[in-house]
Amino acid sequence: MKRSHFCGSPEHRIDRRQFLGRTATAGAVTATAADMTVLDLLRQPVLADELKKQGKSVILLWLAGGASQFETWDPKPGRPTGGPFAKIQTSTPGIEICELMPKMAANLQETAIIRSLNTKIADHGGGYKLMETGRLPEPGVDFPHLGAVVARELGRPDSKVPDHIEMYTSHEGRRKGTSGFLGARYAPMFLTDDMMPQNIRRLESISAVDHQQRADLRDMLAQQFTRELQVPSVASQNSAFERVRGLMSSDYLFDIEQEPQAMRNHYGPTQFAEQCLIARRLVEAGVPFVKVARAWWDSHGQNFETHRELCADLDQSMSALVEDLRQRGMLESTLVISMGEFGRTPNINGSLGRDHFARAWSCTLTGCGIRGGSVYGKTDENGNTVAEGEIGAGDLFATIFKAIGIDPQKEYMLGSRPIPLADFNTTPVAEVLA
Amino acid sequence: MNPIDPKQLKRDATWRAQDILFGLERVPESQKLILGSSDFGVYEFDVAAEKPERVAFTGEGHTSYVTGAAIVGQTLVTCSYDGKLIWWNLADRQLIRKVDAHEKWIRRVIPWADKNRVISVADDMQCKVWNVETGELVASFTDHPAMTPNNYPSMLFAVDVSADSRWIATGDKVGRTVIWNAETFEKTGEVETPILYTWDPKIRRHSIGGIRSVRFSHDGNRLAVGGIGKIGNIDHLDAPSRLEVFEWQAGKRLHELEDPKHKGLIEQIRWAEDDAWIMVAGGDHKGFVLFYDAASGEPLHAETSPGHIHGATFSDDGQTIYVAGHQMIERFAVPQEAVPAESNPPKAAPAKS
Repeated sequence: MKRSHFCGSPEHRIDRRQFLGRTATAGAVTATAADMTVLDLLRQPVLADELKKQGKSVILLWLAGGASQFETWDPKPGRPTGGPFAKIQTSTPGIEICELMPKMAANLQETAIIRSLNTKIADHGGGYKLMETGRLPEPGVDFPHLGAVVARELGRPDSKVPDHIEMYTSHEGRRKGTSGFLGARYAPMFLTDDMMPQNIRRLESISAVDHQQRADLRDMLAQQFTRELQVPSVASQNSAFERVRGLMSSDYLFDIEQEPQAMRNHYGPTQFAEQCLIARRLVEAGVPFVKVARAWWDSHGQNFETHRELCADLDQSMSALVEDLRQRGMLESTLVISMGEFGRTPNINGSLGRDHFARAWSCTLTGCGIRGGSVYGKTDENGNTVAEGEIGAGDLFATIFKAIGIDPQKEYMLGSRPIPLADFNTTPVAEVLA
Repeated sequence: MNPIDPKQLKRDATWRAQDILFGLERVPESQKLILGSSDFGVYEFDVAAEKPERVAFTGEGHTSYVTGAAIVGQTLVTCSYDGKLIWWNLADRQLIRKVDAHEKWIRRVIPWADKNRVISVADDMQCKVWNVETGELVASFTDHPAMTPNNYPSMLFAVDVSADSRWIATGDKVGRTVIWNAETFEKTGEVETPILYTWDPKIRRHSIGGIRSVRFSHDGNRLAVGGIGKIGNIDHLDAPSRLEVFEWQAGKRLHELEDPKHKGLIEQIRWAEDDAWIMVAGGDHKGFVLFYDAASGEPLHAETSPGHIHGATFSDDGQTIYVAGHQMIERFAVPQEAVPAESNPPKAAPAKS
C-alpha cells in the first residue's frame, strides 16, 4: 500500500525516500536519538494517525514470575496435572475457568482467553524480554517494549499527561520497560516505591503565582521564537514543557483518596487493587499505556496456596477494573491484557509447587477490539502441549496491535532497516478480534 | 512388647506411587493403610500382603484432593478440598454418606473416638465437630480471622484433641493457635507462633507457611506446634523445619526447635506415650522424620524420605511408623536384631491417628 502523508507544506516535505536517505546517511544501524528526531516528524499533528483521536488505551496486568494457567484460565480438574481446584462456569456458556476466579467468571463477556501460547523460553529474563517486546532479542537492536510502542502509536502530541506509565512496587523481577530505539521520549514513568510519582510537585520555594508567571514568560518567548523560526525542534521543546507542566498538574490522578470509598472497596484493599484503580484513572485522563505489575507468582513451592492468595487479589481487582471500565463506557476503547513471562508446569513437584513452563500457557485480552466471551486455542488433556491454535509471542503482539487499531505490519525504520511493529511472519489471531 | 527406640529406627520398606498421598490412617489391629490421594480417591493398602495393591473405596467420592482420614470404630471419615466429608464403611469400603461440611478446603479431619466424633478444620476458618454415627454437626466454632493482616485469605490447617478429651487446639496460617474447651467449645487460651508465617511485603508480596500441625502431649499440658521457619525466598520451602512447644496454660514457650538440615513444613507431630519424645514429619521437596527429646529439645534421631511427607501413623504396638506423601509410602521400624531383649526405652504413641 502506498503511503502518502504529505500535506503540501514545506515543513512536512518529507517522503519515504528522503526519510530513508536521511537515516541511511546518518549511518544508523544501532538506535540513536538522532534516528528518532527523524521519526518524530511522524508525530506532527498533521501526520498523526486518526487512531490517536479515538482515545484508545491499554492496561497491562503483568503477572510477574508466571501465573499458573491451571489455576486461572485453563483448568484441568481431575487430571493428574490438574491440581485440587474445580472449574466453574463463566458468564459465557461453555467457557469454564478455575474456581479461583469467580468474579472474572461472572465478567467474561468482554474477555478472550488464549490457551495456546507456546513461547518456548522458560527463564524469567528471557521470557520477560520476549513477552515485553514480542520478539527474540537481536544483537545491536534495542527493541522497544509494548508500552513504548503503544505510547508512540496512541499517544497524543498535545497530551498533558504521560503516555507510558509502569507500576512495579515489588522488588523481585522488577525490570523497567525500555523504549529501545524509539528513544527516551517513550520511556515509562516508572513507579517503584510510592504510587505517587516523585519530584513532580512545585518546589515550596516557588509560589504558585511565581510559577505561573514563569510559565507565561516562557510561553511568550516561545511563541515569539516560533513565529520567527518555524522548525520542528521548537515545537518539540514547547511540547516537552507542556508535558512537564501537565505532569505536575496530574498528581491527582495517582491519588485514590479522591475516589469514593465504595469504589475503592470494589477494587479491594490490596496495593495491586489500588494500582488497578489508578490505572483506570490514568486511562480516563488520556494515558494510552499503563502497566500494573503484580509480583510474584513464581510458585515453585506451595503453588496452590500461593494461587489462592494471589488469584483472590487478581480476581477481585481485574474484575473490578473491567466492570468499572464497562460502566464508564471505556471498555470499548481500553484493552486490558493479563499475562506474565510464562506459565507453570503441568507437573506438580514435591513441594506442591509448579515450575516454569512456556510450551502451553494462557493469557487474556479484554475490551477494545476483542471478541468477548471467546476462547482461542486448546491444550491437551493434561496441559503438556498445545493441541490446537498454537501461537507465539509475536502473534499475540500482532493481535494486541490489531485490537487497538494499529497496523501490526507498520514499519519503523532503524537506519535503513524496516522493523515491523509485530515481528516478521506473525499473524493476528482473527478469532479473538471483534 | 519391645517399645520403639527412636535412635534405632530405620526405613525398611518403600512403595512408590504415581500420585500425592495426603491422608493416611491405619485400620486398627491390621497393617491396612487408608490413603487419601491427589487423584481424589480413597484407598485401602494392605502392606502385610506379599504384593500390596490398592483397593479403592467405592461410591460417589470426592472431587478434589483427599486431605485427611479418621477412623472411629468401623467408620472411616475422609475430608477433601472439595469441602465434603464422606463417611465410609470400613468393612465393605462402601460410601455411607456425604456431607457438605465446609465452604472451603477442608485441611484435616481427626478422630475423637472417646466421643464417637470427628473434628474437621477448613479454610472457611471453622472448626466443626461431627457425630460419627449420625453425621450430624455437633458444634461449629472459630476465632480465626478469615483474612490475614495483609488482606489475603487465611487458612486453618491444623487441629488436635487432647487425649483426655478436655481440649481442642486449632492452628491457622498466620501462626495463631487457639485452645478450646472441648465440652463447651468456648475459647480457653491461645499461643502465638508468628515465625511460622512468612509475609514478604516487598520482594514478592505474598505469604507462605503457617501452622501445619498441632499436638497435645498425652498429659494435655504441653502443646507442640509445627511448621517452617522464616523463609527468605518464598518461592520455595527454603527454611528449616520449625517446632515450638508450649506449656500452653501458663503461656510459656518451652522450645523453639529448628533443623536447618531438614527443611520444609512439619506436617505431622506425635508424642511418645510417656511424652518423653516428640516425632515430627514433613519436608520440602523431600521428606524427613525427626525425633526430639521433649524435655531438653535435643534432637534424637533423623530419617529422610524421598518425598515430602504429608501423613504419618503408628502401628498398634508403636513399633512401626508409616508415612505417606509425594509419590510414596514408607515404613520405618527398629530392626529386630537391634531390639534388646530387655529394654526400657520410652513407649511410642498409640495409633490415635
